[in-house]
Amino acid sequence: MAKKRESTDIQFAIIGSAGDGTIAAGDILKRAMAALGYKVIAFDIYPAEIRGFGKCISRVRVTTEQAYSLKRHSDVLVSLDDSYAIPHVGEVCDYGAVIYEASPIVRQPEGAHITAHIRPTQLPYGLNQREISERATSSARSRNIVILGYLAALYDIDPQAFRKVIAAKFRRKAPVVTTSNTAAFDAAYEVGKRVFKLDQGSLGEPVHADKGETATMMTGNGAIVRGCIDAGLDTFFGYPITPATTILERLAAELPKHGGRVLQTEDEISAISATIGAGYAGARAATATSGPGLALMAEMLGLGVMGEIPSVVFVSQRGGPSTGMPTKTEQSDLNMAVFGGAGDAQRIVLAPTNVDGCYRTAGKAFEMAEQYQTPVIVLMDLYLSNRYETVVPPAKNPFAPNLNKGMDARRGDGAYQRYQRADDHVSPRALPGDEAGMHTVTGLEHNEFGKPSDLPENHMAMSLKRHEKLKAALKHPDFTICKRFGDEGPVDVGILGWGSTFGEILEAMFAAQDEGLRCSAMKVVMLSPLPEQQIAAFMDDCGAVLVPELNYEGQLANLISGALGRPVTRLNRATGAPMQVEEILAEVRRLAQARAA
Amino acid sequence: MADATHNVIIGNGSAGNGAAITLRERDPDSRITIITMSSLPFYNRYDLPRVFRGCHDWREILVHPPEYYDDNRITLRRNSRVTDVDGRSRSITFAHNEVMHYDQLLVCAGGRGYLPEELSEYYGLMHGFHSFESATTTYRALPKGGTVIMLGGDMIGLDLARTLIDVGYRVMVLANEYTFWPHRIEADERAGFIAALQHMGLEVMDGVRPVAIEEGAAGKPARRVVFEGGDSVDGDVVIPFYGLVPTAEFMLGSGVDIERGLLVDPQLQTTDKHIWAAGDVCQIWSAADNEYRFYYGWTNVRQMGEVAARNVTGADEAFKGVGDERLHVGRDGHIQSPFWEY
Repeated sequence: MAKKRESTDIQFAIIGSAGDGTIAAGDILKRAMAALGYKVIAFDIYPAEIRGFGKCISRVRVTTEQAYSLKRHSDVLVSLDDSYAIPHVGEVCDYGAVIYEASPIVRQPEGAHITAHIRPTQLPYGLNQREISERATSSARSRNIVILGYLAALYDIDPQAFRKVIAAKFRRKAPVVTTSNTAAFDAAYEVGKRVFKLDQGSLGEPVHADKGETATMMTGNGAIVRGCIDAGLDTFFGYPITPATTILERLAAELPKHGGRVLQTEDEISAISATIGAGYAGARAATATSGPGLALMAEMLGLGVMGEIPSVVFVSQRGGPSTGMPTKTEQSDLNMAVFGGAGDAQRIVLAPTNVDGCYRTAGKAFEMAEQYQTPVIVLMDLYLSNRYETVVPPAKNPFAPNLNKGMDARRGDGAYQRYQRADDHVSPRALPGDEAGMHTVTGLEHNEFGKPSDLPENHMAMSLKRHEKLKAALKHPDFTICKRFGDEGPVDVGILGWGSTFGEILEAMFAAQDEGLRCSAMKVVMLSPLPEQQIAAFMDDCGAVLVPELNYEGQLANLISGALGRPVTRLNRATGAPMQVEEILAEVRRLAQARAA
Repeated sequence: MADATHNVIIGNGSAGNGAAITLRERDPDSRITIITMSSLPFYNRYDLPRVFRGCHDWREILVHPPEYYDDNRITLRRNSRVTDVDGRSRSITFAHNEVMHYDQLLVCAGGRGYLPEELSEYYGLMHGFHSFESATTTYRALPKGGTVIMLGGDMIGLDLARTLIDVGYRVMVLANEYTFWPHRIEADERAGFIAALQHMGLEVMDGVRPVAIEEGAAGKPARRVVFEGGDSVDGDVVIPFYGLVPTAEFMLGSGVDIERGLLVDPQLQTTDKHIWAAGDVCQIWSAADNEYRFYYGWTNVRQMGEVAARNVTGADEAFKGVGDERLHVGRDGHIQSPFWEY
């Protein structure tokens, strides 16, 4: 057995056509590596079409130290379809491996085979994927499993971990499916054991096992589901839309086991209406959607703001506008989340930056919705929704079960004021059926009793109430609204980020520090209300402030510039793909050099 | 660049690389592609004994850094085996089913180790020394101070033997007519050269005929070589060194004349005006010998590649091999071959 490396940071990229089993292979790989105790970050890219054509990429980064994003350069590229993999050969690092079908059955013109594109600094491994699969299973369909057997052997990974994951993955299918796929894996493993390794191919010892931690692997959407359940979600209403659909699907499977209910509604308007209705009835209620769905929900969210009704909306952004790019990531719904809708309709908007953050934010969103009687939008994106990370679940449930500020039924004087003015601007809330709690709820502006009123002083007072009560959320217990990382005190460059991009920002910051630059980064989790004080303090320390975002307009940059009246440097990418660490790092270098000059 | 001449070189050894850089110098605008079955860029095969001195990273024996190919705009196609050359359509077919067009083709595919037919069934019990990978595998199979049994003992093997002895291994040479290949040893010289090998520290068994190779018995070295008559010797690895045969099968059907190797004129052109050959794969017409003959060794092979490339690009130069081809014994008592000087 090859000597184990001390630490591991290796990224696999499996590329194929829809139907090749690319995503399934990546799924097995990441689950096996996580089961062995490695830290894993994984993200899949797939076409909008269901099956038959289109590029699929599954990237899996395996580390022993904490990592925050995928790497631009993979260490291993596996091609299940050269036509899709060839454009990505350049993404393989020097002395990284390229594994490919050595014996394609179709005659190809010059340049169509991947060997034409492998650079001399990269390591080629030809593998008879089809032949091994056919020999082991009488079918070529297990090519994706074949490559896993080969990888396990090449990188000296315990094959039993793969066999267990394969068995678990196909447990609901006929036993022959597991048997044949395991046979394909084993056949390729034997081939891989005999191949000459062109580079040291073993991994370091995993870390979770050492610490006795029970790590699990989740997607952002999976963490949202877990957070919802732990927070005691009662009802969920949803209408499918990529990339939020899996929240609906998983809750449909899991929530009833915990006493909750899930209803798939006929559209997004129904979903938000039912959510607000359930919230009005005192239930913890939520829906999930993407940008186009959020646009449809705008009017009812206004009702939630006006009626001061708790609700939680999970929004996973994708490329827009309109139908846009359903299977590509983007951070371009910040404006709509913060500002979308009629009138001055401020609500709480939270944007977790990683999978663990998705879990915590989901649960805290219900606390905030109840405590501040408002809709709460949790803003993610496809990259965060779909990416896998290993997380260590908390030892005990961190979420408060009920923060509703109930009415005092004992008063019973027949003068219940649903929108009574209070020091904290949060009024006692009667639930349907509460004795002496009869009141009016309407989308019209209203007085303290809930009765329609368009008196100027009333509208002013109620507007103030609806905005002021949210400021308390900036100090919500056990929740990080923003956080600074990196160097303390004055720095050359500070990076402000939000959402899924923050992992890349952190990696860029660490790289900049390694180059001797003084650099800090701040993640802004609460986008509304904006933690202006903390952001301003951070900017005071920064020679230059960079705001990288996956949108064209620079929506966070606009938000901060508008709120604080300070200039920032924008780094905007609207490519449908995650931001590259190197892009951020290059901009940090440029700003630092400009400052030095 | 769409109309640039595409010069394709099959083979990534000293002939192929000598040809490639010469082509680049003489035809800056041409496309140059080197095709090789190896996974590795060009490394010096004469450096392979270093594996037994502790060199286990192939990067250390590369002749050029990997960036060299990009710097010189040479496309390197590794892990690529040519199965067919069609001289009429000027196309190459790879084992991976890709078809490539060429304007001028230089075949520098070299040779592979010859194994007598009667021993071929024991191939799986033998080790190799023809590539970095096989040399490393052999090294790993060899215990410290272990015994290497060399079958035949051509000059490639004897060059390795010198290193093996130097670093503490035991080397047994089962000498036969292939010993000292490619040198032709006169009968009256043979005893002197055998004595030189023994002086170098090799154990030479001359005249024995291996007929079988077996797994070693429990507690014994891993291999046993059985001789005609039933005697045997034990060793940890068995490596055949019976000289080279040209790697030319893929040229069958190409339209060029082939005997054992590709037949070329002194300008290294085959019978197809678009196909040239250099190195161990070709037999060159020698008017002096009145036959097609092979020329071996780093100096000859490299020069062949360069001459062929110059002729591809318009020169009319005849190949002249190294003058002295005789094996001799140096002052240190070791045998010395001009073919292995580089």
